[in-house]
Amino acid sequence: MASLPKRIIKETERLVTDPVPGITAEPHDDNLRYFKVTIEGPAGSPYENGLFHLELYLPDDYPMEAPKVRFLTKIYHPNIDRLGRICLDILKTNWSPALQIRTVLLSVQALLASPNPNDPLANDVAEDWIKNETGAKAKAKEWTSLYAKKE
Amino acid sequence: MSKIPRSFRLLEELENGEKGLGPESCSYGLTDADDNTMTNWNGTILGPPHSNHENRIYSLAIECGPNYPDEPPKVKFISKVNLPCVDQTTGEVIVEDFHTLRDWKRSYTMQTVLLDLRKEMATATNKKLPQPKEGSTF
Repeated sequence: MASLPKRIIKETERLVTDPVPGITAEPHDDNLRYFKVTIEGPAGSPYENGLFHLELYLPDDYPMEAPKVRFLTKIYHPNIDRLGRICLDILKTNWSPALQIRTVLLSVQALLASPNPNDPLANDVAEDWIKNETGAKAKAKEWTSLYAKKE
Repeated sequence: MSKIPRSFRLLEELENGEKGLGPESCSYGLTDADDNTMTNWNGTILGPPHSNHENRIYSLAIECGPNYPDEPPKVKFISKVNLPCVDQTTGEVIVEDFHTLRDWKRSYTMQTVLLDLRKEMATATNKKLPQPKEGSTF
């Protein structure tokens, strides 16, 4: 296996020794650039009490290129589509090599706390969110209890 | 080179397919846009010119299993076609008879498979094979 850049080793170590509250990230044994991730739904959001599974991959050009992140758990959110793809500026145009795995995951957690229906990825969800926020949040809460149950 | 995991690889293929970056002679997409395992795909091949396939559009079903792209996808013609590498009762592409699946490499994509099948249709012997009625299915 190709040797892992020092930066990735350091980031991985710190994720284990100094974990971010509400977030876990652990590399697969057979691919140290590929992480199993969980994020707890932020308190006060419709995702509260949910545990969301994600996957994260550091491409060859990381950190020049952003990590790839995807939700595995079904979630009702205007910036996350049916395949779990996330619309988040720092994963696309606003990526900077100064950012890290932990900052990315914190941003994803923040996106759960404050959805942005004006920059949607899931258009139908965003429309629902704008027209009927109370109903959309109720649905997000319902999906959380259906699909994001803690073990 | 590191190994891109199955899901991110399939998302890349999906985006390339949606953007239409691929050649116009073939296309592919997810069968069910809600399937987050991204297992079942449909593909089309436009029959190559100067052959009995000219102007025909062939539909295919592609199944990317849990070990894709370490293992090749399962490929099956939905439109009837007469080719030596295609099982004439089921429409399945026979792995041993189609080099792209038999000598599969991780770097190959669904696009590789569709384009190579199209080349197969255009070989000197295959382009003259009599073809079933257009629009018939397996």
